[in-house]
Amino acid sequence: MNDIATTLKNNKTQPVKILITLPTHAYFMSGIRDFTLSLIRNTTDFSEQWAYRFQSVVDELCNNAIEHGSKPGEEIKITFIYTPLNNIEIIVEDSGTGEHPKKAAELKVLIENKIEKDLPMTSLRGRGLSKIVHEWTDELEFIDKPEGGLKVRVRKYLTNVSAEEMKKSFAFSEDQTHILI
Amino acid sequence: MATPATITIEDVQTNTPGMVVKICKFSGQLDESNVDEKAQQIYGLIEQNPANLNLIFDFEELEYMNSKSIGYLTDWYGKVFESGGKIVIAKTRPNILDILQVVGLTQLIKTYPTIDEAKFAITH
Repeated sequence: MNDIATTLKNNKTQPVKILITLPTHAYFMSGIRDFTLSLIRNTTDFSEQWAYRFQSVVDELCNNAIEHGSKPGEEIKITFIYTPLNNIEIIVEDSGTGEHPKKAAELKVLIENKIEKDLPMTSLRGRGLSKIVHEWTDELEFIDKPEGGLKVRVRKYLTNVSAEEMKKSFAFSEDQTHILI
Repeated sequence: MATPATITIEDVQTNTPGMVVKICKFSGQLDESNVDEKAQQIYGLIEQNPANLNLIFDFEELEYMNSKSIGYLTDWYGKVFESGGKIVIAKTRPNILDILQVVGLTQLIKTYPTIDEAKFAITH
């Protein structure tokens, strides 16, 4: 165990990959948000502000997968791949069995239109992917899986985070609601 | 099964005749599991007060809000504004303010660091 811990601690180059599978139900999202926050905070070089931002990104991606992509009783998959000192990649996959599954091309056009037209502030829906995910990631890709379903991949590079943002640490000394890995 | 979240509502005394001011204190996390249900509390409040309703949303205990809750917030703003009222937000946590800023909501709804400042803004 000590050797594994030392190896992980000393790892500065090898990507670390974590894969989570969860049922298609919004109830599990608070746990995934907590996990994302702790993972980013404690095992990556991103600041606390970015840990909270990725919490929102993961939540929005998973909500779309649950709402459109996988029917109740099935699963969605979330993969976190962190390359030390470089970038984090997050992939959310659904099974394509949802009531109104979307294809990659369809989503791409939808998001591009929303970004281009700059969604009116008073509209009820549509901010998750076009605002939150788009603004807080450097790459956003939609991929149709050969076996059916959709894969949404995002990536954020550390080099694209400003020095000021990297220093930003929210004052959470009073926040007792989040677990540490 | 839903993530815990509560909205408590209290009246604020005001010297302006006909003006209704309430503080809505949000706590917990608003997400897909609970936001549709919780939103009905505010819609009910708006329905019961069809004119000059002014709301101060106290977000001190709000830990998370998803994009759908932002959508509800903008809808409430529209309805209240149309009936001659205002909505302001007070005491947001940094991560919540970050979300409000990235979706552009702070251009529409003003945020204040304290309840007193929010009350002053509403009543003046």
